[in-house]
Formats: sequence, structure tokens, C-alpha cells
Amino acid sequence: MTILEERPQFAFEAHEASLMEIVPGPRPHGIVKFVTSTDHKQIGLNYLFTGLAGFLVAGLMALVMRTQLIVPNNHFVTENVYNEMFTIHGTLMLFVFAGPFAFAGFGNYLVPLMIGAPDMAFPRFNNLSYWLYLGGFSLLLAGFLTNNGAAQFGWFGYAPLTEAIHSPGPGADLWIVGIGLTGFSGIFTAVNIITTVFTLRAPGMVMFRMPIFVWNILVTMFLILLAFPVLTAAMALLWIDRHLGGNFYNANKGGQPILWQNLFWFFGHPEVYIIALPYFGVATEILATMSRKPVFGYKGMIAATLSIGALAMGVWAHHMYTTGAVLLPFFAAMSLLIAVPTGIKFFNWIGTMWRGTIVLNTAMLFCLGFLAMFLFGGITGVILAQPVLDFQLHNTYFVVAHFHYVLIGAVMAGFGGLYYWLPKMTGRKLSEKWGKLGFALLFIGFNLTFFPQHDLGLRGMPRRIETYNAGMGWNFLNELSSIGAYITAIGVLVNAWNIFTSWRHGEIAGDNPWDGQTLEWACSSPPPDHNFEALPPIRSERPVWDANHPDMLTKVGH
Amino acid sequence: MKVESRTVLGAFTFLTVLAIVYWVLVALHGSSTERSGITMLVFSFSAYALLGTYLLAQYLRRHGIPRPEDRFDATQEDGAGVIDYFPATSIWPVGMGLGMVFGACALVWGLWYLAIGAVLFFGAVFGWVTESDYTEDVLPGSDPDELAASHGDFASSSAHGDH
Repeated sequence: MTILEERPQFAFEAHEASLMEIVPGPRPHGIVKFVTSTDHKQIGLNYLFTGLAGFLVAGLMALVMRTQLIVPNNHFVTENVYNEMFTIHGTLMLFVFAGPFAFAGFGNYLVPLMIGAPDMAFPRFNNLSYWLYLGGFSLLLAGFLTNNGAAQFGWFGYAPLTEAIHSPGPGADLWIVGIGLTGFSGIFTAVNIITTVFTLRAPGMVMFRMPIFVWNILVTMFLILLAFPVLTAAMALLWIDRHLGGNFYNANKGGQPILWQNLFWFFGHPEVYIIALPYFGVATEILATMSRKPVFGYKGMIAATLSIGALAMGVWAHHMYTTGAVLLPFFAAMSLLIAVPTGIKFFNWIGTMWRGTIVLNTAMLFCLGFLAMFLFGGITGVILAQPVLDFQLHNTYFVVAHFHYVLIGAVMAGFGGLYYWLPKMTGRKLSEKWGKLGFALLFIGFNLTFFPQHDLGLRGMPRRIETYNAGMGWNFLNELSSIGAYITAIGVLVNAWNIFTSWRHGEIAGDNPWDGQTLEWACSSPPPDHNFEALPPIRSERPVWDANHPDMLTKVGH
Repeated sequence: MKVESRTVLGAFTFLTVLAIVYWVLVALHGSSTERSGITMLVFSFSAYALLGTYLLAQYLRRHGIPRPEDRFDATQEDGAGVIDYFPATSIWPVGMGLGMVFGACALVWGLWYLAIGAVLFFGAVFGWVTESDYTEDVLPGSDPDELAASHGDFASSSAHGDH
């Protein structure tokens, strides 16, 4: 079924004529809609909920790990199972949840809505990306069903652990092709969103009127285009090593294990920003709306995003300080430099809230949680960026604590995004009561889990060990950390229950429940096929606010 | 297109400078076996150069006449008319995706998976590229009587698109 999409022509008030009515033929429902729909909103929801499924599965693995570590000399699971758990936990969290949840889930759903486009530029290609992503997710999990179990070498799969002689069996191969497929999915999404942003904006929606979220997604997509092909190439070389007798990473035959680290982290560090930047965008939108103010320093925010995107390509080897094979001063300087644009962002977020009329609902609480936790993770990042300190802390729990603060900070903003945009996606608000309880449990749980791990790292506990002796002074902190993990799990369940019940029984949201500022609030909730019956005139970066508050128009600086 | 091309070419310039600095520093102080970093940086700025020049060419081709989405004062009427084809549903992407997943399985469990994968993939490619042809027949306007019967006057507004 194809239509020729026309620009909306009606006045902004007109809502009665739905585009649904001019598209002839039956619309698919249920499973047929899930499989065949090329609507960016359906695909975005597919991504969001597949990502959440990945989050639950990987979270269960984290619980297994924390249960194993709760007391010394524990034998809850065997060493091999523990190794599978931390490998697949990391892989799923990064390649299935944290990244795609934001850049493909929120990105797909919101970017066309925010720029006033009827759909993505390549709708069928968009559908294909989702199936590659789901296929990659399934193959990563399929490793557990094979004889030798899933991959056991950690999510960054250092050579020579990954060579056929150390990791025999299909588990490691499934890890390779699973990541490869999610990588292709990311590249296709990137091509799609960049084309959409460059060619399908509504009239008047110049680049410097796009919401910060769209800018951040755009920069993320460029990072994906540069980073993911390198990862795919590294995986291809690894497969050749394992199956065709290549020796790219085999030091015995003249290969270089360090080559894997260079290729992997040339992908892996931009990946951190691929994950973080969309959540920065989510947080910016929520903070601006809930503070009833425009974004403070709009162009400064964009400049900061662009500089993070540019600097991200030059910091990869700060994961490799202790190899002794990298240029320490160059990478230390670049890594410290990247803290500057991130600091500008924090300054602008605080400026956005400054003297605003702040509404402290669940979405805003999650955003504040994001600010606190991400800032903490960023500061420990500055510590780790200095080679003198990194040589002490490398591969200890301090590093684990650092990147969990960064990523969970980001994910906090993601949960805030769910509370903020699910009313647009489903037409119903989530329960504030359950939401605040869920936020409190998650915030306390996450901090209780990961704050003690800083100290564990300083006391010398290495990463990836499956048990430890009682006399190391690590018992109490590990116990605290595990209790925190259980509280986090309860918090996740509370939020999942809230989403589940509010989907059908929540309070009706209406088109613009938060008095939003950007274009997605100009269409109905949920939006009709091909999005807009009418567009307000776009004269600033918050057209819906201008249409609803003619007495408080956004000041335009251009 | 001006902002778009400037953004991408700016990233190209930055990465070029970065690559030169990195190359010089590695040559002076670094490990002699480190060639992967500079290779990847060269390919990165080349990728930006490719896209940036394409966008710049698109901008120059318009001889300074901006698109409605590049004008600060554009109204919805300026962008009136048909935007593009947007297929509402299609079965072919899932076939193509399954084909690629089976192709990935061939890398794990043996080449015979590739047979299934290739059938699915190329079958779906054929279906995909020919899909526009037969959906053209059921587009609004192809059967005006039926449309008028089921949808009243609404149909005529989108019936005579210029494809």
C-alpha cells in the first residue's frame, strides 16, 4: 500500500480531517502490522521494546553475577557460566539495549515527528534494520543453547582469548555474527536518519531550529557511520583467523593482538558517545519542557555536541594505556579535552533550569538522576584519562564503577524519556505514583550497587574474577553492592509494571500533556499515519510553544 | 544545504588536522608497528570528504535559491505538493533480513545455510524492486469510481499526484 504524501495544508487548529481517511484499503493489525509495517512509529516502538527485553535479560545476568559475588568463596555458578554471564551481559547491554534503545528507538519514533516529516526517508530499509537487529539479538542469545555455551572472553573479546584454540565451538562465532548483524542494523539506521534530517524537514525548519535531540541523534549517526564499519572489519578478520587459518591477531605467526585492540576501540570509544549523545538530547528536551523555558544557549549546545562528535574519533587508545604500545600524551590530552564540551552541556542544562518554573514529575526526576550520576561517572572518567592514575586502576572494579555510572546515568535519562514520550506514543500517561517509587528504587539501587565498587577497585579487586578469598577486605562492600543490585531489580520491575498497566488503563494524556515545545506535540496522541494533519508555523526552535503561548514568543537570535 | 555541507566539511577538516598531528607524533615518538590508527583516521576523513563534497555540490547546484526547509521565513504553502512515495507496509524487508540472518548462520554452522539465505535474500530483493510497479496500480486514482464510492471527496485531493 503506497500513498503519495502531501504536505499538510490545513490551519493549525484543524484536527478533524485525519490523513488516515485518504489512504484507501485496510490497515494491518497485530502481528501482521508488527512484521510488515514500514511506519517509523511502529518500528520505533519495536526497537524500544526489544531493547527493554534485552535490558531485562542482561539485567538478569547481572543479578546472577552479583549473587555469585555476594559472599567470598561462593559456588552459586561455575567459572564458565560466570564468564558467559559477564560477556553476554556487556554485549547485550551495549549492542542491544543502551545504544539502539535511544538512537533507533527514540530516534526512529521522534526524529520525523520533531522535524515535521511524514516518515523516514527509506521506510522499507528502516524495517530491514529492525530485523537485522532482532536477528543479531537472537543469535547472541543462541550461544547459550550450544554445547560449549556462549562466548566467555568479555564483551571486548581481546585476542588471543578469541582464537579458535582458546574459545572453540560456535558460541564465539555466534557472538561475532550477532554483533555483526546489529552493526549492520546500526549503519542502515544511520543512513536513513541522516537522509531524513537533511531532506525531509518541514518548510521553515532550518537546521538551527531543529530540537537539540535531533542534532544529537544526527551527530550520533555520523559517529555510527565511522565506527561500526571498523568493528565489522575487525569481526571479519577474527572470523578469518578462526575458520580460514588467518593470523591477523596471532602473535606466533607474525600477527598483532594489539591490532584487535586498536580496531575494537576505534569503534568502542565512539560507541560510548553513540550511546550517550542521544540520552543527552532526551535530557535536554525534558529539562526544557519541565522548566517551562527554552534551552539555555541553544547554539552552544549544538557546538558542544559537534565537538564531542569530532573529539570522539581521537580518543580510542585511552582504553589501552597499559599495553605500552600507544602514544600516551596524545590520547591523555584528547581524553581530557573531551570533558570541556561535556562541561558546557552541564552548564547549559543548569542554565535551562535556572529561574525556570520547574515541574518535578517522574520524567524530570529521572533527568535530575541522570545529571547527578552522569556527572559522577564523567569525573571518574577524568581520573582514568590520566595515564599515571590509570596504570593503578586499570582492570579493577574502579573502572567497572566508572562506566556503569556513565551508562546508567544515560539510561536514567532513557527512563525519563519513556515517562515523557510514552503518553505521545500510547495516548495514556504513566502512573506518577508508581513512577516516583520506581525512580526512588532505581536511584538508590544503582548508587548502592556501584558506589562501593569504586572503593573495591581502590582496594585492588580486579574485574571479571568469579570469586575471592575472605581475607581481602572486600566482603562488606561486595555484600552492599549485591543488595543494591536486588533493589535495582525491584525498581526495574516496578517501572515495567507501571508501563504494562498504564498502557491500557492510564490516564488519557491528550495531545500535549506537558505543554511541550517541539513539533511532536502538534499531532494527536498517538500520531496518525504519516504524522501531521496540520503544522504550526515554524519560527523558532520551539514552534508548538509559540503557537500555544503567543504572549511569550521565543526570542530569535539569528 | 549550506549548513549541512559546512557541518560535514568542518568534521572533515578537524579529522584531517587530527590525522596529521597523530601521524607526526607517532612518527616522532610512537611505536613503529602502529599503523592501524593512522589508516583508520585517513579513511574517516575521506568518508567525510565524500559526503561533504556531495552536499556542497547539491548546494551549489541550486545557485543560491534555498529549499523551503532552508528558509527562515518559509510557510507551509511554500512546501506544498507531493513529497515522495511512502510505502505503508511491505513484506520484503523481513524476507531480506531473514536471508541475511541465515547468511550469518552460514558463517557459524556451515555453508548449507547459505543456500536458504540466498534464496530468501534474492527472492526478497526481487520482490522489493518490483513492488513499486504493482503498487502503482492500486494507488489512489487508479480506479476513481471505487475510490469515490468508498472515500468520498477526500480521494480526489491526493488522486492526481505527478508520479
